[in-house]
Amino acid sequence: MPQMPSQAQQVLDALLASPALEAYLVVGAIMFAIGAWGALVRRNAVVIFMCVELMINGVNLTLVAFADFLPNAGGLGASYAVLVIAIAAAEIAVGLAIVLAVFRSRRTVNVDEVTSMRG
Amino acid sequence: MTIAFGFLAGMVLVSALGVVISRNVVHSALFMSGSFLGVAGFFVMLNAPALAAFQVLIYVGAVTVVILFGIMFTQRPQVRRYRSIINRQFWAGLCVAVGVGVFLSYVVAVEDWGSTAPGNGPREVAKIGRQLLGVAPGSDIFALLFQVVSVLLLVAIVAAIVVSRRKIGTGVDRGVEE
Amino acid sequence: METVGQQLIITAIPALPALVFVVLVLFGRLLKENAQYVAILGVTISLVFSVFALLFVAGIVPGGGEPIEFSKPWINLGDGGVFSMGVLIDGLAAVMLVVVCFVSLMIQLYSGAFMEGDKRFAWFYAILNLFTASMLGLVLAPNFIQLYFFWELVGVCSYLLVGHWFEKPSARDAAQKAFLVTRIGDAALFIGIIIFWSTTGSVAFEDISQAAQAGFIGGSVFTAAVVLVFIGAVGKSAQFPLHVWLPDAMEGPTPVSALIHAATMVAAGVYLVARTYDIFVQSPTAMLVVAYIGGFTALMAGTMALVKKDIKRVIAYSTVSQLGYMMLGLGIGSYTAGVFHLYNHAFFKALLFLCAGSIIYAMDSYNMFEMGGLRRRMPITFWAMVLAGLSLSGIFPFAGFWSKDAIVASAYEEHLYVLFAMALLTVFLTAFYIFRAIFVAFTGEPRTEAARNATESPGIMTGPMLILAFLSVVSGWVGIPESFGLPIRDYFAEFVVPSEFATQTLGLEDQAFSFWLGGLSVLVALLGIGVAYALYVQRPERSGALARRFAPVHTFLDNGWYFDALYGATFVRAARWLGRATNGFDRNVLGGLVGGVGRGAMRTGGLLQRLQSGGVQNYALFILAAVLVIGVIVGAQYAVMVVGLIALATIAAFAVGVRL
Repeated sequence: MPQMPSQAQQVLDALLASPALEAYLVVGAIMFAIGAWGALVRRNAVVIFMCVELMINGVNLTLVAFADFLPNAGGLGASYAVLVIAIAAAEIAVGLAIVLAVFRSRRTVNVDEVTSMRG
Repeated sequence: MTIAFGFLAGMVLVSALGVVISRNVVHSALFMSGSFLGVAGFFVMLNAPALAAFQVLIYVGAVTVVILFGIMFTQRPQVRRYRSIINRQFWAGLCVAVGVGVFLSYVVAVEDWGSTAPGNGPREVAKIGRQLLGVAPGSDIFALLFQVVSVLLLVAIVAAIVVSRRKIGTGVDRGVEE
Repeated sequence: METVGQQLIITAIPALPALVFVVLVLFGRLLKENAQYVAILGVTISLVFSVFALLFVAGIVPGGGEPIEFSKPWINLGDGGVFSMGVLIDGLAAVMLVVVCFVSLMIQLYSGAFMEGDKRFAWFYAILNLFTASMLGLVLAPNFIQLYFFWELVGVCSYLLVGHWFEKPSARDAAQKAFLVTRIGDAALFIGIIIFWSTTGSVAFEDISQAAQAGFIGGSVFTAAVVLVFIGAVGKSAQFPLHVWLPDAMEGPTPVSALIHAATMVAAGVYLVARTYDIFVQSPTAMLVVAYIGGFTALMAGTMALVKKDIKRVIAYSTVSQLGYMMLGLGIGSYTAGVFHLYNHAFFKALLFLCAGSIIYAMDSYNMFEMGGLRRRMPITFWAMVLAGLSLSGIFPFAGFWSKDAIVASAYEEHLYVLFAMALLTVFLTAFYIFRAIFVAFTGEPRTEAARNATESPGIMTGPMLILAFLSVVSGWVGIPESFGLPIRDYFAEFVVPSEFATQTLGLEDQAFSFWLGGLSVLVALLGIGVAYALYVQRPERSGALARRFAPVHTFLDNGWYFDALYGATFVRAARWLGRATNGFDRNVLGGLVGGVGRGAMRTGGLLQRLQSGGVQNYALFILAAVLVIGVIVGAQYAVMVVGLIALATIAAFAVGVRL
């Protein structure tokens, strides 16, 4: 392999390096923020669910990142993430059942039309 | 690695934005599954391939389908104006969400995590299996947690059926016929 | 010291009527009309005991001859001293006891018929007995505190009895007026008591008198205290300027007027001055005040009685006038004459009221000018009233003559000619107005249907009247001065005398009975009767013409010299204004404050209510924002972040606020 110029070498090194822990965490944080935003501004209940899933995934990502990067954790974060996935699935099931029930009686899935607890 | 990371990060975040901003609900669902795939890729990068498999199976596979079923049952025509899908909290929500995001990122970036090095993830399936069953050293609590989550899933199934049962005498769900 | 048995007898004198009061209050509804028997029994026993006390003090009962004194400690203030309740019966008190019990008995007999069918018959008797008990307690008092205690109680009974028919608004108002006006006097009396107590350390009459002699109380303070005590007497005895309540108090039933507002309660003021005479004589200024107020009141009330149409009002003003005489007598130093007049007056004034009551019972009207010709129809009443009238006018040899003449003569002999003139003029007026009333009511032809149908009252009413009529004639005969020439002793003057000290301080010479002064007063009285006869029997139209000629004077007198109007325009208006202001303050400021707290809470609640929009996402927004804020605060070490995030939170809050 011919010797590359040092800047290119540096760029290549940088490109091939593993990302730091913080990078994964920041991505997870931003995913969470976007999910939160969506949960606050969208009217459709199903879309709100999707945003909640986004938030959960952001958290999962954080968990697994810690599992990989922290030597003393014993890699348990991944197992926690499995459990979280299971629970999220259960939550989706029940949540959508509720949305369906509400839709049947009120004919709407818009969350801001369900305000009988006003006042 | 960084390229992969950048690509996956872009996929995840753009898809997330797509979920929120898309006017079509089905598009939102598909964006969501795209985001899930990105996260699965992250899991592979983080030395947890079994987890990536779970992620794809469950999220992209089951959850997306369930969501799509839900959309189907509560169908609405596609809207033209954003006003109909966005409520009044748009800017307030944006501020708060941005605040949360920035805050969390800052905290995470500035915090000293000690000596970190990649490579501690459960690379082998057996490892994660032992962890989940509570056999691996330090994972004793999982013996209980695993069983509890099983029960939780059972309860969730029953609950979902009960809650979405049609009461006697009400009409057929009109969403199906459209 | 007396034996325990004797002490018990004395204590029973006021205690028995009090017991009757309690019994009637508890069982009045059961007893109904039988209440009178219980009451009469109680008063009769008290009367017997009072007579015993009188005989004891007079020395007729073996072991007596000395004033009865005993007391028990009541309130112990430690260093402040001890207040005791007790008994002091000297000549003055003994006479008063008998008078009060006797007149009370007569009234209670009379009321059996007069108040028949009344809704609150037993209550009436109950309060009447409470009053009797209080008056007896007052008479027995050896110190100011006990006196004041019963003084107040007597006032309360007066209020209750004047307002007995409280369905009538005029009766309610009259009762309130009586109570309030006497209250002014009571307040002054209390201040006087406090001054005495704080300067001498005791409230007993004898102690204060001796302390005053020893110079414990300074000159002007002493006079002020004595005058204050006198103001108390002024209130109770309806002297000028606190006389306005007595005519209005005629709204009460006639027996009440007879007992309370003629014979006993109003006499309490005179009794007070007599009781504390040792203190009064030490202040010549106070004595003069007493005398002139008494004289002026006598004259003033006499003029007011001239034009009244209501027969009870005439007699009421007469009472005020006669009380003025008594005060006059006491003020100029004629202790015995003043008290003698008190004693005589009780009988004939009570009789006058009972006669008026008899007419009212027969005719159901107070207005003299609706009567007429009752002489033939109600002879007993007529003759009783004539006897009482003659006694009141002071015609020889009736009872009134002896006491009234004594006062008039003393005024002259002391060279107090102004007072003498006042007294003499009042003799004329007294004779005139009382015989005006008698002539208008009894002579001539009946002016109304009711007068035509009037019949004599039942025996239980005329019985007491006859007894009192007899007494109106002879009661004065126990006090005929020896210089008159009859071989009778002047029992009264021997029995009811001021103390050695008082006699010395006054330094008056003993005057013989003056025939020409006596004759002068009788002449003036006969003149008054003659004028009344001329105006109301011979040519009745003359009185009407005279009234029209002097119409402004007539109105002035008829409206009580406009005292009521004066007081109404000043004090009553001020008090009402104060009451309205306080009410307004209470309602608006305090009430508004309290209501304002409630309203404020409601308003705040209404504002907060808007936060509960019912939208889940709204709640989620708040939650997230709160978490963010908390996170920022907790993580305050990241100083740079803090500023940025607070700015963000503020913007978010505004955004939220806009959107809400």
